[in-house]
Amino acid sequence: MTRLPPCLNRPLTRRAFARAGLGAASLALLARGAQAQSALGPSTMPLPSHWVETPFFQKLVEEGKLPPIADRLPQQPLVVDLKARGREIGKQGGDIITLAARARDLRYFSAIAYNRLVGYDEKLVLRPDILESVDNQDDRVITLHLRRGHRWSDGHPFTAEDFRYWWEDAALNKALFPAGPPIFMMIDGQLPTFTVVDEVTVRYEWHRPNPRFLPTLALPRDPMIYRPAHYMKQFHSRYSDAEALAQAAARAKLKSWAALHNRMDDMFENSNPDIPTLGPWKIMNASPATRFVFQRNPYYHRVDEAGQQLPYTDKVIVDIASAGLFPAKANAGEVDFLARGLSMPDIPVLKEGEKAQGYRTLLWPIARGSQVALYPNLTVSDPVWRKLNRDVRFRRALSLGIDRHTINNAIFFGLGQEGNNTVREGSAMFEPDFRTRYGIYDPEAANALLDEIGLTERRGDGTRLLSDGRPLEIVVEVDGEGGMTVDTLQLLVEFWREIGVGLFIKPQDINVLRNRAYAGLPVMVAGFGLDNAIPTAEMLPSELAPIFQDNFAWPKWGQYIETKGKNGEACDVQEAQRLLTLYITWLSTADEAEQAKIWKEMLSNHADQQWSIGTVADALQPIILRDGLKNFPVKALYSWDPTSLVGIYRVDEVYWDKAERRVAQAL
Amino acid sequence: MIVFLTKRFATMVGTLLLISALTFFIIKLPPGDFLSNQIAELRSQGDAGAAARADFLIKQYGLDRPVWEQYLVWMGAMPGSNGYSGLLQGDWGWSFEYDKPVNEVVGDALWLTLLLNLATVAFVHIVAIPIAIYSARRQYSLGDYAFTLLGYIGLAMPSFLLALILLYYMNRWFGISIGGLYDSRYANEPWTPDKIKSLLQHLIVPTLVIGLSGTAAMIRRMRANLLDELSKQYYVTAKAKGLPPTKALLKYPFRMALNPFVSDIGNLLPHLVSGSVLVSLVMSLPTVGPILLAALKSQDQFLAGFILMFVAVLTVVGMLISDLLLAWLDPRIRLGQR
Repeated sequence: MTRLPPCLNRPLTRRAFARAGLGAASLALLARGAQAQSALGPSTMPLPSHWVETPFFQKLVEEGKLPPIADRLPQQPLVVDLKARGREIGKQGGDIITLAARARDLRYFSAIAYNRLVGYDEKLVLRPDILESVDNQDDRVITLHLRRGHRWSDGHPFTAEDFRYWWEDAALNKALFPAGPPIFMMIDGQLPTFTVVDEVTVRYEWHRPNPRFLPTLALPRDPMIYRPAHYMKQFHSRYSDAEALAQAAARAKLKSWAALHNRMDDMFENSNPDIPTLGPWKIMNASPATRFVFQRNPYYHRVDEAGQQLPYTDKVIVDIASAGLFPAKANAGEVDFLARGLSMPDIPVLKEGEKAQGYRTLLWPIARGSQVALYPNLTVSDPVWRKLNRDVRFRRALSLGIDRHTINNAIFFGLGQEGNNTVREGSAMFEPDFRTRYGIYDPEAANALLDEIGLTERRGDGTRLLSDGRPLEIVVEVDGEGGMTVDTLQLLVEFWREIGVGLFIKPQDINVLRNRAYAGLPVMVAGFGLDNAIPTAEMLPSELAPIFQDNFAWPKWGQYIETKGKNGEACDVQEAQRLLTLYITWLSTADEAEQAKIWKEMLSNHADQQWSIGTVADALQPIILRDGLKNFPVKALYSWDPTSLVGIYRVDEVYWDKAERRVAQAL
Repeated sequence: MIVFLTKRFATMVGTLLLISALTFFIIKLPPGDFLSNQIAELRSQGDAGAAARADFLIKQYGLDRPVWEQYLVWMGAMPGSNGYSGLLQGDWGWSFEYDKPVNEVVGDALWLTLLLNLATVAFVHIVAIPIAIYSARRQYSLGDYAFTLLGYIGLAMPSFLLALILLYYMNRWFGISIGGLYDSRYANEPWTPDKIKSLLQHLIVPTLVIGLSGTAAMIRRMRANLLDELSKQYYVTAKAKGLPPTKALLKYPFRMALNPFVSDIGNLLPHLVSGSVLVSLVMSLPTVGPILLAALKSQDQFLAGFILMFVAVLTVVGMLISDLLLAWLDPRIRLGQR
């Protein structure tokens, strides 16, 4: 997507084709040059010659309870180009069974059934999806074009009114959004001018570029800047009788109409079966239940070239089971598809059941900066530790004292990527130096650095002493659920003993850990590295800047930014302040070359400063796929952001190759 | 008797009040509260939008007030928000996690829990008592040693491990689906004979696993109690006078040996509701245990508080029942007479 008006002829930027040995997901990193400009324009796929009625709805259509397919689709449906992505035209029908640990996890279904106003494709190019096209002038004036004739899952038209409703009646309504509209809608605290151009066109206009807006719409957590107005209005005081609303709220044991509105307004959470959706499947039942059924949406906007409406499968069935049983249930052949909830240690169990039960275990690399990263707390309350953690030599020494190769062999089957917590090879932002600077094993250099700091006093067993005479023993706090993290730390104990540093592991509940971190208690925390390790220049570098309190490297600095200076502390370390400046610069530019430059400088700063100490990246995510399910990549990258778990690989295109397989063990 | 009962009721109410205060404050001890933890979790998954709603909800549930105030609201001594009246008014509160009134959340799980634990209790008694009688009558016989060995294995084996092993083999050998209390295909269906059959099949493993250690313990205690009684004079006399051995055993020694188990009824009642948490968790059974654990972890305070209070009430009532039963069963026990 370009941030330049077409009149400016800009040469194509350099393309980085770094192959990470991944067929389907080789991230052909298109820099957003002239080529990508068309990405936000209307699709060039021709419409199919005729429409095929979905067998699942055949009866309803014949009985006149549902309009025929031609009337259900928008005038310009999204025709998916299966062949271009090495996929086949599928067959409609069948169910897919999967698992979730609790009803609240149904929200992840919205990430997996990825449909967004604009969404990433497998090459991480931003393209219109629900929208027909987007006109983007410098990220400053953004015009969204809806598909004429597009309908909600209940058959009601989806129009500009749905955008207007969310913006004017919800986001700007103090009762519903006490803190004001979501932050990505604003620049310097200023709201956009919102215009309804006609019933299928809306425009947002800011006084300066807002490069955050479009990428945010494509996030795994859809911010949903539209709502089914016709449904939500019945809960809104402006459109409904206050008396009746108050009664309805009281019946639901809620205090106000706003609370009721918020309760019903859960398009992402999938907890209200009544709210219409635009997604491929619609939830049919509410909790409490041990089985949730998602049924195909008759008005879904995607079709294939043969004129069949997607999704291919009629239903997705989500059974609730405790997370500990996931591997056992998969091994017993009780699921057709499962990714979230499985992890690397489960692989042997999953492999064991493959033949007998007829499924495959796909192993996808997890695109994270590092599977296990250590965060020296720069805002820890203890003054001695704070001074030490803020000494870059100390952080570098700790990093140089880690034998990543041994960790890789012992825990990651030797398949991981050793080095710093940084972006992955294959991202346009990647440079080999980011991975290796201070991210190698050199205990001598580490010892030399620690001596240089002045930590030369030692206890009888060789443990160095802090400046106040306490032994240099780091208590690393960790989320008790993360098995691999604890295993890795146990190896670290041995490595750091070599450089005279003691390590104790303190597992605890993640909520307790977070609250302790906000209060400045932990000296060091171990957790996951960067969430988004395959960024493009247009994605926000927010993980790299000290702006979030849940980044364990600088909870109090993050708090300071998040509470606008009310709590926490202002960032007072020069190199980290530089990150903040860079981030703010990124936010105010629409020039993609400059954004890429900022990304790289931030990454370089991270490698140099070792704000977080990476170990090994590219753990494997096992994914269960029943034999007979087609159109799903054998190998690709797995992550929360930007791949939206497996969302960007478009699970609505997955189909059963043989009719007899479709009859899932259910129903 | 009337005086005794009134006294008992007075102490029961006092005890329950104390327990309610303790549970509530202990639930609130960890830092943060349900919503702030929730928001942190959502934000760590890139859901910044959730934070915007936070203030809104925190106020709505009165989580910004001091703990003692929240406690009084919960008990019903102070007016709460959303027309929440409090425990004493019969309003059990609201579950944040499920976004539903507590009674709706617990109600579904409650009767399945009762079913499972009743099945377990029945299993324990039906298996343990005959074995104990046999072991006591034939002390140091081969059978006695065999049962003792089995019993020790049952006691020593971690129940969750046994659960996993049994689940796996039941699935491989008999095709019983893993976990849950019935096959998931029946989840949203009415109770048909097929569903009941599936339920019974799924009850086998948890009943065995939960009951095994209880069975082992019960065999040992019953055997010891019986051995005590069997050497007493009245039993020897009864046998000498020509009572058939079985009748002689069941008439008196057995009744006496039951005493400790009757006083256990007090513990049995709450166990029917909150027992077997670990196994339920491992086996993904839709019972109260996992709900309680999740509620405690996420500080879903009213839900956790209600379940704990419910268990406390059952304990106190159970104690009363076992006292009354003991008095009726054993003429040597007399109330209020020094």
